[in-house]
Amino acid sequence: MKIDEGPSRARAPVPASILSQGTNLIVSIHTALDDEQLMLLQRDLLDRVGRQRAKGILIDVAALDVLDSFAIRTLADLAYMAQLRGAETVVVGISPEVAMAMVRLAVEMPLMRTALDLEEGLQCLTS
Amino acid sequence: MNGAPRVRNAAGTHHDEDLVNLEPMVRRVVGARVKDPHAVDDLVQETLARVVAARSRIEADSLPQYAAVTARNLVASMATRSIRARERSHLLVDDPEDEDAPVADVLLREERHIVMTALAKLPDADRLLLLAHEVEGQDTATIASGNGSTPGAVAARLFRARANLRVEYLFAAEQLEPPTDRCRPVLRAISSADRRRQQDLDAAGHLLRCTTCARLRALLGARRGEQDEEGVVRVPVARDADVVLARQKAREVAAEVGFSATDMTLVATAISEVTRNIVKFAERGEVVLTLIRHEHRQGIHVVARDVGPGIEDPEEAMRDGFSTCQGFGLGLPGAKRLMDHFELTSNAGEGTTVTMEKWLP
Ligand SMILES: [Zn+2]
Repeated sequence: MKIDEGPSRARAPVPASILSQGTNLIVSIHTALDDEQLMLLQRDLLDRVGRQRAKGILIDVAALDVLDSFAIRTLADLAYMAQLRGAETVVVGISPEVAMAMVRLAVEMPLMRTALDLEEGLQCLTS
Repeated sequence: MNGAPRVRNAAGTHHDEDLVNLEPMVRRVVGARVKDPHAVDDLVQETLARVVAARSRIEADSLPQYAAVTARNLVASMATRSIRARERSHLLVDDPEDEDAPVADVLLREERHIVMTALAKLPDADRLLLLAHEVEGQDTATIASGNGSTPGAVAARLFRARANLRVEYLFAAEQLEPPTDRCRPVLRAISSADRRRQQDLDAAGHLLRCTTCARLRALLGARRGEQDEEGVVRVPVARDADVVLARQKAREVAAEVGFSATDMTLVATAISEVTRNIVKFAERGEVVLTLIRHEHRQGIHVVARDVGPGIEDPEEAMRDGFSTCQGFGLGLPGAKRLMDHFELTSNAGEGTTVTMEKWLP
């Protein structure tokens, strides 16, 4: 993973859209993301938690082709850091196949809540 | 420009006599190099036509010399064209369609020079064989009877000679010299698709280390598309985005084999784990995906190799919870749990190779 701090390596924006709905940020990822894009998304979301006073982050990962150890850890770190700043994170859209792979990988996911889909995820955040 | 009297084309027909006088000499020059009588006729006519076309620019007394040089060049360019026609893929430069266009002429001249340089670099046996077959038009049976061999053996030698010529052609065309003693043998093994020899030479490892060979290999395969060998997909890995590409390609191959969505995801996830280490720790590497068959079963074979610092203690790296200074584990134990077969070999200072397999249930 190579993250450039400087402007030397400009690249296309992360293929994900972020909507504000009340105090929640609703994130849908459009395609597979590489490590750098995942990190950029993580940082962007943390910034927004501060800027927009968000209380909840809902991330739809259905478009991610895999959730490998790096992706899981990046999401878990996001959830932890967001929590430190007063926002809760829920991940939705994990397909049965991806779930199976995650179990075999046996990566722990502390602090990260998951729900089946957007609707249930929103219920988690408002309850 | 000097003041000597010039022979002009428009001056009249009396110069046709010159041509008539030139013809036997041109025929001798061509005949000494080309065996096929039809080709000899064509080349003689072509030479004379060019002499006529150039006559206005040439001193009368240097016409014979000009004719001889033209004849020799035409023979050489016919050799080029004939080698091309026989195996179009190996010269890697598009045929100039219009041979009369000035650009095509320049291309041909450069092309000829490259081919000649390449031929000169070949071992004598290869060169003589190619010239006998491609230029003089001798068939394999004739060549075989000439040296007490068999047509099959001659054909095999021709195949290798052409493969070697492709390599020398590229060195000449790219104006490169092989940086190591290993380069020529490796590229020749690749050019002749000799997998065993490639393995003996560790061609894959050399290609990762040697940028010259990597570049020439890409040119060798340029006409054969991404899948250079049947059922083999190669993904060069240097950046984060390549990890995504590698696992997408793996999905395509796995889909071809008929894997379920779950198994495709397991394979893609395992590849993601091992490929990330190439980007993180090594300069560059590659992922090679191959369809495999054993009896009635099918599967996917994955090799992820890199040129990098290597892993000092591979056993330790395979233990859960092992993590590097970056704070992340290598993901290797996880990848192993996703696949049916997993093997890690690493030499400190040289690089790491992970070999994995997944079989259809
Ligand atoms: Zn080399």
